[in-house]
Amino acid sequence: MITWPPLLALLIAVPMTSAVLTPAIARGSARRAFWWALAVMSVASIIAAMLIIRVSHEGPFSYVVGGWVAPYGIELRFDEFSAAIAIICLLGTLAIIFSKEYVTHAIAEPRIPYYYTLLLLNLMAMIGFTVTGDLFNLFVFMEILSLSGYALVAVSGERIAEMAAFKYLVMGAVSSLLVLFSIGLLYALTGSLNMADVAERLDGAAAAPLAVAFACITLGFMVKSAVFPLHVWLPDAHAIAPSPISAVLSGLVVKVGIIGMLRVYQIAYSSGAVDMTGLNTVLMWLGAISIVMGAFFAVFQDDIKLMLAYSTISNIGYIVMGLGLASTYGVIGASVHVFNHALIKATLFLGAGAIIHQTGKRTLSDLAGVGRAMPFTVAAISIGAISIVGIPPTAGFLCKWYIALGAMQAGRPFFAFALVFGALFIFIYYIRMVNAFYFQKPKDPSILEVHEAPATMLGPTLLLAALCLVMGVFGRLPLSFIEPAVNRLLAPLGGG
Amino acid sequence: MDVVDARAALAPAVSLVCAALVFAAADHTFWRRFFSISAALFKLGIVMSMLPGALKGVVYTFELVEFTPGVALAFRADALGMFFSVVSSTLWLLTTIYAIGYMEREPNRRRFFGFFALCVSTTVGVAFAENLLTMFLFYESLTICTYPLVIHEETPEAMKAGRKYLAYTLTAGAFVLLGSIWTYQLAGTMTLSQPGILSIESGRTTLTALFACLIAGFGVKAAIMPLHGWLPSAMVAPTPVSALLHAVAVVKVGAFGILRTIYNVFGVALLKELGVCDWLAALAAFTILAASVIAIFQDNFKRRLAFSTVSQLSYIVLGAALLTPLAATAAIVHIANQAFAKITMFFVAGAIQRTTGKTTIHELAGIGYRMPYTMGAFTVAALSFIGVPLFAGFVTKWYLSLGALEADAWWYVVIMLASSLLNAAYWLPVIYTAFFKPPPGTNVEVHEARWTLLVPTLACAVYVIFLGSTASVPGMPLSLAQAAVTFVFGM
Amino acid sequence: MLQDLWHNLDYAASVVLFCIGLYTVITKSNLIKKFMGLNIMETSVFAFIVALGVVDGGDAPIMGAGAEAPFINPLPQALILTGIVVAVSTTALALSLIIRIWKQTGTIEADELRGME
Repeated sequence: MITWPPLLALLIAVPMTSAVLTPAIARGSARRAFWWALAVMSVASIIAAMLIIRVSHEGPFSYVVGGWVAPYGIELRFDEFSAAIAIICLLGTLAIIFSKEYVTHAIAEPRIPYYYTLLLLNLMAMIGFTVTGDLFNLFVFMEILSLSGYALVAVSGERIAEMAAFKYLVMGAVSSLLVLFSIGLLYALTGSLNMADVAERLDGAAAAPLAVAFACITLGFMVKSAVFPLHVWLPDAHAIAPSPISAVLSGLVVKVGIIGMLRVYQIAYSSGAVDMTGLNTVLMWLGAISIVMGAFFAVFQDDIKLMLAYSTISNIGYIVMGLGLASTYGVIGASVHVFNHALIKATLFLGAGAIIHQTGKRTLSDLAGVGRAMPFTVAAISIGAISIVGIPPTAGFLCKWYIALGAMQAGRPFFAFALVFGALFIFIYYIRMVNAFYFQKPKDPSILEVHEAPATMLGPTLLLAALCLVMGVFGRLPLSFIEPAVNRLLAPLGGG
Repeated sequence: MDVVDARAALAPAVSLVCAALVFAAADHTFWRRFFSISAALFKLGIVMSMLPGALKGVVYTFELVEFTPGVALAFRADALGMFFSVVSSTLWLLTTIYAIGYMEREPNRRRFFGFFALCVSTTVGVAFAENLLTMFLFYESLTICTYPLVIHEETPEAMKAGRKYLAYTLTAGAFVLLGSIWTYQLAGTMTLSQPGILSIESGRTTLTALFACLIAGFGVKAAIMPLHGWLPSAMVAPTPVSALLHAVAVVKVGAFGILRTIYNVFGVALLKELGVCDWLAALAAFTILAASVIAIFQDNFKRRLAFSTVSQLSYIVLGAALLTPLAATAAIVHIANQAFAKITMFFVAGAIQRTTGKTTIHELAGIGYRMPYTMGAFTVAALSFIGVPLFAGFVTKWYLSLGALEADAWWYVVIMLASSLLNAAYWLPVIYTAFFKPPPGTNVEVHEARWTLLVPTLACAVYVIFLGSTASVPGMPLSLAQAAVTFVFGM
Repeated sequence: MLQDLWHNLDYAASVVLFCIGLYTVITKSNLIKKFMGLNIMETSVFAFIVALGVVDGGDAPIMGAGAEAPFINPLPQALILTGIVVAVSTTALALSLIIRIWKQTGTIEADELRGME
């Protein structure tokens, strides 16, 4: 047996400290800030890779902070779901590379180090959120990442950026309070904040407050992940933010709600004290409605980033529906879609960002024919579009396939029906987009003289597009990786 | 006997490469033509090279990607698939030549020929699909690739037809996907390599719902009434498109999907037990008659052809739904018979339109004097549809009637006869108008269509006679169809 | 029923406060008022959690001479200290956003701002 260094503690401590140090290191230089941020992300990525290797060998493991044994101290716990840090590190790194050229136009140079600080803090808090085993710790990380998220939406300086950020902040703060309230309630009922410990002690707890606690915490996470009808903050915030930030927000930050829900489910299922059937039914329906409504709104958008933002709502709908179905296939599909959707949506947002950066235009009608001027970027977007619709052999396919199978497995073919027809809607507006880019006549011929984006922007976009294809062909790897965790999760339900 | 052979995947891939080259060739007319024709020849060569094996019962398989066990992109050239791909590859070659002539002065030729090649790629993909997922993928791609062809002229009318087309066919695709998922859930596999993968244990209601789901999905493209609405509208497309896609590729893909559903997903034995095919047969019989009646009242040449197509396609559906070996033979062989006869007619309609500008039937008075060869080809096709012996259509009707008797359903024989009469009722007036009404004006000299239009037309017409008169010769399509039937019925 | 309510008066009060806060957030158009509503909500949750740790007749858990049980549970207070820090940063961020909105548009009324989008 290999002895592993306390990587889990390093993963939180080192990058978090480094993130805060960014302005001091950069001393006003955008270039230094960029390289520092990249270095921090690289270190975090290496640690993350080692952790994932460990979890695939040994299964879940934990680390107790400061030597205080759980349940008294704060426990960091790494299980298969925590492997989401892989995509956080990957997207974070690529978003930082993409930012190098992108933000020089959007933000004044002396302020750029703060931009990287916020971005790093956001990413690190997300990593912390994913690996913590303590409920209050979960809340703190959630707040760090939310606050940095609100600020990042506002940095673009677009006319309605502050308004979008404020809307995001109000919804976000209310949802955080709901989560905090539930955590307090759970503490009152069990006298513990450690997730595993809470699950064990729930058994004797009174049913009514327990139901309130689980309903409130799920509601809070639903706002964070923008499930319809709690999505109102998302479209503006994601469309206004600078594109690398949109990629991070849409690909990762909304998933925080999902990972939070998974944690809640871990507590609820393993204790067996709470009946989640009602909540599951609500999640299923809201998921199905999110898919359809997200697609419905997206069809009528002309702004490409708004379109992508609404598409996020649809995809969150898929994930939430998969979770609500509570069947093995459904939950596996949903968990892997957390990963794959991040990949795909980042491809699309970075591609859209490159186009907006080069042309200065952001509506479909203005961008008609841009495919001839920026063939590589538009090709990457097309791959992203194919993936997000779920056409094999791309990344989106297997997850949706699994979620649909999950619906059949749960004996609810209607939801497979909703999924398939939602995909159809999604297909229609992505066809519109690709059609406009490639086949429509340019409204303004000057668009044909635009150059392809610089390498720091094109590189990450193409890499992500390639990954969309690779993850499609080797889609079985993440599925089999997550399967033991899902089996463990659903085992108390009697085989799912 | 299964043999792993890349040719099964290569056949769809050729047209894909061709499409890429056509798009890359930009506005070089010569290279575009060169790529289009050489790819057509190459593909025909590949498919034909597998034919001797297929006749002996060899099945070529090739797996491209396996996602998880049982969910894969895989190809399998069995007798039924070979039959369909031989027909579509042959016709692709002829239509490409025809399209080069027809589209000579049209704008956007690059887009046209690029997507044209893609369509054929997807058609052969459907033919060779090893499982429902692969089939769905190509079935859906076909919809997408035909859309730019339908709206080629970009007139408001064309755009409207395009939207209608997409609405119908994309919804259909969703049903097919749903059916595939459902099948996988019930059977644990989606393969099309068995004579039926589902079993009665899944429950009668579930199976009936699944059957309805798959038939609705494929039935839209097969234009079973009342799902046929898109087909007449889509006739605004240029004639080579109507010819290849709406008489051959798109609609036949739907019919082929129904054959696969009946023979390879459910299996004959299970369907006999379920009894749902009686309903399908009744619906097909209704479509045969109703579409023919509507066709009589159409004056626009292409619209009459469209309704004739709706009617003819249901022969295939009826043949499959009767669940007897002889009816199945008729269903399969009608894929070829209808394809060659219908494409002849479309070529004629297009040639007349390009040469004289006429699009309605009452304008055709005396056209037989000006374009004798073209109208001769038309007559051959018309006689085939009516079911005159020695022409291709007769073979279908003969086997279908035998199959109906085999299934103790004599009333379908009556429907065959009625359909023949109706076919005569709407095709013979055209021949009469063309040859026996005096042409307007005095200047009656022979003015044929140019050779790129005429040669494919005549070739198809010759083939119609060939199919009808040599049906029993080994190696002809009929023997391939019989090989497929042998497998399906386990004989 | 009424008896229960009386015993849990502190909890009931925080629920009422929470609802008042939520009502303010939803109905008020002025961004500052909206945000004050949010602060009320925060306070209610903090009060709720601190109240959890209270033991009847309990003392502050400061060890040393004269310390005797029962003690108040110190953990919720420690948590809420962190929570207050978070709340303060949220407030600071929100106020700075409101200032920038005001500078750019000259109004902080949500319904007027909606018209400007």
